[in-house]
Amino acid sequence: MAYDPTENEITRRSFLSRAIVGIGGLIGAVFTGIGGGYFLSPLWHKKKESWVDLGLVKDFREGVPVKVDFTVRKRDAWSTIESRSSAWIVTANLKEFIAFDPKCTHLGCPYRWSDDKKQFLCPCHTATFGIDGKVVSGPPPRPLDRYPTKVVGGHLLILPQKTAEA
Amino acid sequence: MNSFWEWMKTRLGIEELWNALFARHVPEAKGWTAWLYTLGSASLFVFTVQAITGALLAMNYVPSPDHAYDSIRFINEQVLLGRFLRGLHHWGATAMVILVSLHMLRVYFMGSYKYPREATWIVGVLIFLVVMGFSFTGYLLPWDQKAYWATMVGVNISAQVPVIGEYIGKVLKGGDEMGAVTLTRFYAIQVLVLPAIILGALAIHLFLVVWHGISESPTRKEDDQNKNAGTGILQ
Ligand code: HEM
Ligand code: FES
Repeated sequence: MAYDPTENEITRRSFLSRAIVGIGGLIGAVFTGIGGGYFLSPLWHKKKESWVDLGLVKDFREGVPVKVDFTVRKRDAWSTIESRSSAWIVTANLKEFIAFDPKCTHLGCPYRWSDDKKQFLCPCHTATFGIDGKVVSGPPPRPLDRYPTKVVGGHLLILPQKTAEA
Repeated sequence: MNSFWEWMKTRLGIEELWNALFARHVPEAKGWTAWLYTLGSASLFVFTVQAITGALLAMNYVPSPDHAYDSIRFINEQVLLGRFLRGLHHWGATAMVILVSLHMLRVYFMGSYKYPREATWIVGVLIFLVVMGFSFTGYLLPWDQKAYWATMVGVNISAQVPVIGEYIGKVLKGGDEMGAVTLTRFYAIQVLVLPAIILGALAIHLFLVVWHGISESPTRKEDDQNKNAGTGILQ
């Protein structure tokens, strides 16, 4: 077989065009990766939970709901938004705590605890809730909303975001 | 002066450009249907208005939750002609959607999207989607109650897409909740990303319009010999 230099041979021209396509493609892929990762970064952004410290567990009393005021610091990108909020804290044993959202589940009025009746009373449409948050009487469609709670190192922490009753 | 004009003509091909763009042949159209051919140019005109008024608004607008609404009020209440300019951009946005949609309908009902103008149509569809994108991202920028909740609804609709919906929602919002990053994202898309895409697409669109020429309007003919009439097939 005679040697044919044009067959299966990489010429100067084809080498250069392959190099241009290859290196160009690589540069393009790197830029696409960096840009795409930046643009899609919300997908693997971990949500940070901002638990609020409500103080020492031993300062609470069994069976006596108290309303606790606190400051919520919510991060929004580069800024922190502070807002005042509160919760009703109930505990039976100083180990497990329940935190109720302070708004009535009917139309959102602030309710209060009555020591005489041992119930939460809403002044707006005279709803009453038990110490467990269940509706005793009145128009509210569901029990009081709750915030998640946990005890860490003798401190009571709550996450001031509503969850359905556990 | 005359020699300067001659110099310009030979260096920039002004005469050839002029002939190609304005001295070209267009189909004869009679009656009210002739007006339908103006819808593309009307869209182009409103697009230009949007580009100019948008650039001017951006000189006084700040895309941050703390300042967006106040900067809009500043434009409305304190900048000379600010309220007027903002009004132009506001109503221009609506006019744009209406005109582009009407233009699209005329092209559809006249069958002008057929061979050899399919590419003009496909690029047109891309342009239409970009116009929708302009409307969606622009609506959030005043950062008032209406803007915020309308965008919330829009984002929640996109989040209904099966399987990937949740991720689309996150990428649109720039996080798990709507906030500062949603606003900066929408702003960047509105003033940088979409203009770049639409300018490229419009260049192709208009080039194709001139290159293929405008299509003849469909006619209805009684005799059987012309059974191809109105199908876009040349007689
Ligand atoms: C900013 C938006 C747009 C601009 C500025 C624009 C501009 C134009 C112009 C100036 C013409 C010349 C003929 C005429 O005006 O009727 C044209 C033709 C055309 N446009 Fe558009 N257009 C836009 C959007 C669209 C959309 C959304 C579609 C369809 C999805 C589309 C499809 C077409 C087609 C197929 C033609 C050729 C019509 C023919 O040859 O008879 N365009 N466009
Ligand atoms: S708001 Fe509490 S009962 Fe209506």
